[in-house]
Amino acid sequence: MPSSDSPTAEPSPAEAPAQGKGNAAKQPKGKEAAAPAEGSKLSGAELKKQAKAEKAARRAQALLEKGASAPAAAPTPGQQPKVDGQKGPKGQRQHQRGSSTSVEVKNLPVRGAQKTVPVPVAVEPKKEDKTVEFFRHLYKTRTTSIAGASKDVHPAVLALGLQMSNYTICGSCARLVATLQAFKRVIESYTTPPQNSLSRHLTSHVLSPQIEYLSSCRPLSISMGNAIRWLKLEVSKVDVSVPDAEAKKGLCDAIDVFIRERVTFADQVIARSAADKIKDGDVIMTYAKSSIVQRALVKAHEEGKKFRVIIVDSRPLHEGKHLAAALVRIGMDVKYCLINGLSHNIQDVTKVLLGAHAMMSNGRLFSRIGTALVAMEANEADKPVIVLCETIKFTERVALDSIVHNEIAPADELVIPGGPLEQWGDIKKLQLCNPMYDVTPADYIQMIITESGNVPPTSVPVLHRLGNESQG
Amino acid sequence: MASLGNVPQNEKAKSFDIVETYHRLLNEDPDLTMPVAAIEALIELLVQSRAVTVYETLDLVKTQSDYLKSRIPNSISLSAGTDLFQRYMISSLKPSSTGNFETVRQHLLSNGRLFVSRAKAGRERIAAYGRHFVRDGSVVLTHGGSRVVGALLGKAAEASKSGGNVRFQVIYVMNDARSSESKAVVSALRSKGVPVATISEGAVGYAMGKVNLVIVGAEGVVENGGIISRLGTYQIALLAKAAGKPFYVAAESHKFVRLYPLGQYDLGIDQEVIEFKTDEEENLSPEEKKFTEQTPEIEEKKGYFDTEIALPKPNTAVDAVDFTPPALVSALITESGVLTPSAVSEELISVVRATGFLKLFVLLS
Repeated sequence: MPSSDSPTAEPSPAEAPAQGKGNAAKQPKGKEAAAPAEGSKLSGAELKKQAKAEKAARRAQALLEKGASAPAAAPTPGQQPKVDGQKGPKGQRQHQRGSSTSVEVKNLPVRGAQKTVPVPVAVEPKKEDKTVEFFRHLYKTRTTSIAGASKDVHPAVLALGLQMSNYTICGSCARLVATLQAFKRVIESYTTPPQNSLSRHLTSHVLSPQIEYLSSCRPLSISMGNAIRWLKLEVSKVDVSVPDAEAKKGLCDAIDVFIRERVTFADQVIARSAADKIKDGDVIMTYAKSSIVQRALVKAHEEGKKFRVIIVDSRPLHEGKHLAAALVRIGMDVKYCLINGLSHNIQDVTKVLLGAHAMMSNGRLFSRIGTALVAMEANEADKPVIVLCETIKFTERVALDSIVHNEIAPADELVIPGGPLEQWGDIKKLQLCNPMYDVTPADYIQMIITESGNVPPTSVPVLHRLGNESQG
Repeated sequence: MASLGNVPQNEKAKSFDIVETYHRLLNEDPDLTMPVAAIEALIELLVQSRAVTVYETLDLVKTQSDYLKSRIPNSISLSAGTDLFQRYMISSLKPSSTGNFETVRQHLLSNGRLFVSRAKAGRERIAAYGRHFVRDGSVVLTHGGSRVVGALLGKAAEASKSGGNVRFQVIYVMNDARSSESKAVVSALRSKGVPVATISEGAVGYAMGKVNLVIVGAEGVVENGGIISRLGTYQIALLAKAAGKPFYVAAESHKFVRLYPLGQYDLGIDQEVIEFKTDEEENLSPEEKKFTEQTPEIEEKKGYFDTEIALPKPNTAVDAVDFTPPALVSALITESGVLTPSAVSEELISVVRATGFLKLFVLLS
């Protein structure tokens, strides 16, 4: 990426006279590598910077409107007049952006080399805003390099942050476990400074920067939020009189127990009860890829049950391919289709198993985008929808739609290389939106299989409360 | 513990047949429900058992419960009772309290009896709660031989007799296969001065327009708040929903069962309700019969009718049950109050948590 980035950044000094003050704030945004340098220091500073950038952008836009009013009035439609209205280097810059997009497109399937979604107001102030209005509050720049990360961030966390931002570690539970393991390393290498106590110093001065850095790489998942809250509570409970080494060991042990109870063991219990629900002759439909659904299917297969699996998948991630490959490898009968084949395939299905990113307190399921569609179709065809979810993913928050809480992935992932949308950035009034999750109404869900038993969606708040009680 | 002395000791303990006891208890007392009969049978088992340790007792009760369940065609309602009793035992037989096993056992027995008597009294409380649902001038539709519903309607009728102004009518859905039971219910109501109309099962949709509310009993209340009840309940619930009439279920909370069916064919019991036949089948030679049996079924559905436990005889249409999903149930009238279907799961979760059953289950599994 840096190779394509550096030319992008180069023209910016040339714009300086036109943009004035805005340029200084804008520069790191355009230059991906520089973004983390400032972004990960402090959230306050970051926020300030963002506000500054936005202000600058607004000013620039106003300037543009004033300055370019004459050429804009020239009635040539399309984007040509806009470029004309801009200064030379600006036009050149746009062109380069386009080419950098196509470089990125080649790496799409891995999702690895993805670039942060540029805040378009800042990057292309004279172009139209390419963010979708409803989701505008969700667009965030992502840290994709360790350059300039705060010195407080532990190397293990630095590595983890990168792995998360390029989706090497993906999936709610995998990220949760990896985070806790990294935090264990942080705690192990921690020594309480003199005149301080562990319970007061660790959270605010050591853990907070790590958490901030991680969330700048990719927004924290609900389960990570729950676990971090638990960890902070554990830290605060450490007795001041306990020696450092002992307290650290206690915390690390507690983390191990937490992972074992809430994830490892929970997964086993869920896989077993889900496998119990699979009967001979069943046709199981699942959407995309959930590790827990995979475990349940494999377990049922190992128990010798005869059933078929239909995997529904969708662009742009095609996560279902990995699931299909894994299941075929162990000799299961698998059918793979894209989401446009859903309504045809739903007829043969007897049960739908879905994974979860989070379960909301109003019983709604927050999961990979497209899940709601599958659940709705299954409900329409009167097929039971079963969600497999650890209680650590339960949250007290409620969700009424997929807009308020969500994560926006780079829109370029939606573009097929060589397809008509390749230059979508240049097409006027075209916006692409690529949210990661959607919300499935509770009415479509028959059962949630958790490690504390099978419950209807209405019991999510009860289990969440009980789970926290036993924790606290 | 008066009965303890009456029971012939030791020799008979080996020949104690829980299934027989269960049937005897049910026959002796027509007011007894299946879960309570199961609990009473288990108490008798404990009385006669010679187990001297906690684990021996737990194991004995568990194996006998499973045996009883496997011997009864429709074990759902029954398993509510045995599960409840086992949970109760686990909670009261904590290893810490095993200083003197004999006292623990006596405690268990006396509390078990208390439980049975409370369960019987529960019906009265349900009737007391439920009669307020029957308003003046309302028409109640019901079916089946539920004792709770009978008590509830009886209580409502008494209220009108003793100076109250509740006058209501009942539409009773007759069941041809169980006409004697149906007639008994109808005559019991009529003798209390309640006007009763009897209709066939086919006339439910026709009659629904005149109905103000539906009250039925249940054999079991499952985890998601749905009910398992006499065949025909589901269609009444569907019709009531379509007509926008409230559908109430009167059931004691000992009928709450840890079962989570996903649909009609997921009840874990074998029912011979749908049987495909042709006229010529009787005239076929053995080879031909064999061939017809080999006719491929739809592969996906085959598993629905399989079951893990070998049952003595599958449920026929007469005593078959169906599953009414929670979405069709307006409210459940129990002795601990009127609950929404979603509250059932909450209740079950808290019961399980309270007794630490889950932890034990987790440790064992």
